[in-house]
Amino acid sequence: MAAPVDYEAFRAEVRDFAMSRCPPEIRAVVATYRKLSRKIWYPWQKILFEHGWGAPGWPKQYGGTGWDLKQRHIFDEVMAECDCPPQYHHGLRHLGPVIIEFGSEEQKQRFLPGILNGTDWWCQGYSEPGAGSDLASLRTTARREGDEYVVEGQKTWTSHAQESDWMYTLVRTSKEAKKQQGISLLLIPLNSPGITIRPIRTIDGWHHVNEVFLDQVRVPVANRVGEEGQGWTYGKFLLERERLGGANVAPAMKNLERTRALIERELASPAQAPKRASLEERLLLAEAELRGAQALGQEAVAATMEGRPLGLLPSVLKLGTSVTAQHVSEIALDAVGERLAPRFRPTSANAEAPGIEWVQNYLYGRVRTIYGGSSEVQKNVIAKQLFGS
Amino acid sequence: MSFTPTPIVGGDAFEQACAIGLEADRELALSADPAATLRKYWDEIVAQGWLEAEGELADLAALAGGAGRGGLPLPVALSCGVIPFLLGRRRDLLEHRIALILPEAAVDDPADALRLEGGRLTGAVVGIETPPDPTHVLVVLDDALLFAPVDGVTRYQRIDAKPAADFRFNGTPVEVLESGITARAEQARDLGALLTCIEAVSAAGAVIEQTIAYLLNRVQFGVPLATHQALRHRVAEMYVEYENLRGLAAQALRHGSEEWRDIAFAKLRLGEAGRFIAQAAIQCHGGMGMTEDVAAIRLARRIMMAEFEYGDRSFQMRRLLDAHRAAA
Repeated sequence: MAAPVDYEAFRAEVRDFAMSRCPPEIRAVVATYRKLSRKIWYPWQKILFEHGWGAPGWPKQYGGTGWDLKQRHIFDEVMAECDCPPQYHHGLRHLGPVIIEFGSEEQKQRFLPGILNGTDWWCQGYSEPGAGSDLASLRTTARREGDEYVVEGQKTWTSHAQESDWMYTLVRTSKEAKKQQGISLLLIPLNSPGITIRPIRTIDGWHHVNEVFLDQVRVPVANRVGEEGQGWTYGKFLLERERLGGANVAPAMKNLERTRALIERELASPAQAPKRASLEERLLLAEAELRGAQALGQEAVAATMEGRPLGLLPSVLKLGTSVTAQHVSEIALDAVGERLAPRFRPTSANAEAPGIEWVQNYLYGRVRTIYGGSSEVQKNVIAKQLFGS
Repeated sequence: MSFTPTPIVGGDAFEQACAIGLEADRELALSADPAATLRKYWDEIVAQGWLEAEGELADLAALAGGAGRGGLPLPVALSCGVIPFLLGRRRDLLEHRIALILPEAAVDDPADALRLEGGRLTGAVVGIETPPDPTHVLVVLDDALLFAPVDGVTRYQRIDAKPAADFRFNGTPVEVLESGITARAEQARDLGALLTCIEAVSAAGAVIEQTIAYLLNRVQFGVPLATHQALRHRVAEMYVEYENLRGLAAQALRHGSEEWRDIAFAKLRLGEAGRFIAQAAIQCHGGMGMTEDVAAIRLARRIMMAEFEYGDRSFQMRRLLDAHRAAA
């Protein structure tokens, strides 16, 4: 039997590592809300990998750490507290576990090392113009021709496609069955002929997401994960593993602390005292909500470790923390808005106005109640269970 | 199966408190003499040994939770938790029916606030939660814990059916039980706030459960109200607020009454989440939500009142902000 884990010692070890090994210039990017991109993430992933911490959630035999859930939760918390970038999730948290569970031996050997050491960069090809919350309505098709599939269609909201090497993609391989059953999961190199990536301009002026057009793209059958027609099962497996994502409230708490410091800095003059007091009160209410979410997150981790069902906790956490995070970003906007909102422009010239990132952050933050299951979808899920149907 | 809340601390004490609460609530609705009815149930909980929980926080939480779910209109947090804690070794005094006057007690006339002059108490306080027919008061004043017989008193039943009183003292002789009480009195107030939160969380769970039952059964335009997404989403929002508050209260209970910040945050949230849940329950019940006939609405009213016990949200916000500023 394994020795009991000393979680406080582990927390101290992770903190020590984060503070001593994460380069200050990378932590500064996180602390000042600058855009996280592959060139920031990669060197940090390389450091983690070389330390043996490249994939906290993977089994040891595939290069994971072998940590239990609470250790992984502590790791994520400490990373946020120390301004380290959250690990790039598409490979490590989404696709990696699916390959480990359902991929062939060749696929494991081919794809897992590049995810682990950060040399291969992945994006997710799920959403389509006609398939958002209703993902199973996706229409991108893959027609079998010998040892290849020929893929035709369009993906959208594809984060990081502009800097990725690969896209794990849900495609329709059959139209005859129930719509969830005719879906397969393909791994598509983004340098394949027939792929066009077009940026989508979002309201915050940054380039986060893209449209990906697939025009007669030929993909080897060997790049299909698992069985043909079982892609929906793999997609659900991926989402199930992500259900505890909302349990990590540390990034939101860190953001709240930064907002508190911003208010102190921005509204320091006596003339601003009433506004400052008002914003501090609003921030305290948000802190109370986040502390509630933090307590629920700890409950969720404990429940999972003890094999108890999570029930509605993941939806409650997603719904609650996304709204609270938006409140916090509204408070920050109110602190700087009068001075900076009129100067916010959709260009990199923004970087020259100190504090402008709070305006961008507010606009970007609107997405929190939309992605990963919109608030309305979460309320449907919660109501269905509460009402029994 | 629709929603059934899980108590923060369950067990026999919870079930018993809930059962007594439901019985008292039913009887009060029909009683010609509510004061006598409250007194009868007070005598019952004294006989059951509730005042001798010996400061075991989990036991107190079970009682408070059960009282919350059952809507028991008696001062459980006060009489079972706060007063025994303050009395310390003087538990012999628990044979009396004691009200508590903390330094934050409300006054109508600030010039006539309580004051101690030559060992005698003078002044007035209002809106004090009491056991039925209080015989004595415990007063925290000038860093001392005082014990005095009731002098001038106006007793009444609050809108949430709990007994309360306004007190007037005209040179009433007091016994000084203890000096240097301020820190312990603050702890006592936080214990009261914690138990009040647990009581309110439990009441809120019952409110949601009963609101769901109402929406499933009430038919309008040929369909149950529960088929309407607008109402289903409202209930989902109530549930998210409830869970958040429950998480905070449960954590505060785990950390104990010395972790005042946890309690202050929970009590702050009670002001926000509790009122949201109560108001949403009223709205979901339509016109019936404005009546006393609906048990969920009586509980909702109790939750609204709970905010003002042991430090309302402004009070908790001020102390938390003060602590933040002191640390900055």
